Amino acid sequence: MITCKQVSKALAENRIHELPWHKRLGLKLHIKLCFVCGKANGQIVQLQNGIKKMLDQDDESIYLNVKLSDETKNNIKEKMISNNEYNDN
Amino acid sequence: MNDKKINNGPETWVDDHGDYLLQYAYVRLRNSAAAEDAVQETFLAGYKAFERYNGKTPVRYWLRGILRHKVVDYIRKSSREVPIDDTENNEILDSFNFKALGIFDQNPPDWKFDPEHAFERKEFMKIFYECISEMKDNLAQAFVLREIDGLSTDEICKQLNLTPNNLWVILHRARKQLKSCLESKWTKEANGVF
Repeated sequence: MITCKQVSKALAENRIHELPWHKRLGLKLHIKLCFVCGKANGQIVQLQNGIKKMLDQDDESIYLNVKLSDETKNNIKEKMISNNEYNDN
Repeated sequence: MNDKKINNGPETWVDDHGDYLLQYAYVRLRNSAAAEDAVQETFLAGYKAFERYNGKTPVRYWLRGILRHKVVDYIRKSSREVPIDDTENNEILDSFNFKALGIFDQNPPDWKFDPEHAFERKEFMKIFYECISEMKDNLAQAFVLREIDGLSTDEICKQLNLTPNNLWVILHRARKQLKSCLESKWTKEANGVF
């Protein structure tokens, strides 16, 4: 018998789809029949679906205040050029 | 230097994609210096391998693919065991309130908003990134590698040097923190906007 504890472990790790079919079937059945596990699963799936939507949008916005300084950018550019010259020789 | 390089302008890569790639690396590495190094290595490797770029995907995503490998390499090299003692494990297990035989005795509270729809909005994505960056390093790394990058639990355990039990606790804690952070910030944002 699969317990809620085992289900919650599989849910936390989001790895139900990685399990062998017989374990997957047992877990899915448990999730269908158990109200609390079903609810916990639903909440995780909601978040995952949201994240999937975000990834599908391939959003290119910069959300965090982390930026390359002009100095770092110039350093990288110089290294790209000098590395290339070195490789060309 | 050949024509392909000039025409496709790798010289503009740093200005065009630098900040985007830095954000990608920072979310996963949680360290500005390491993220900058990874981005620099990506540009150098991309420049060197540009002959092999087939143009099927935009340059930005091709470079992001290179960066992904750099990030994973960095995590693998830098991760040390972050032991979570039994007290903490028990604390997490207790928070589930399992009855005898491991049966749940707690009803998880509903989301205070619909996360599926919230992710369609840019303001929400900003909050999502903020919440991820406020999480502890190991929690954020494990969560991002699992939920965004889709690495298997085995790979994450190997790369972050964690035992499967530690990963379970870390992912559970990360999800719980993220939920409460998103709820608190998004409710505030929504109240301010509407």
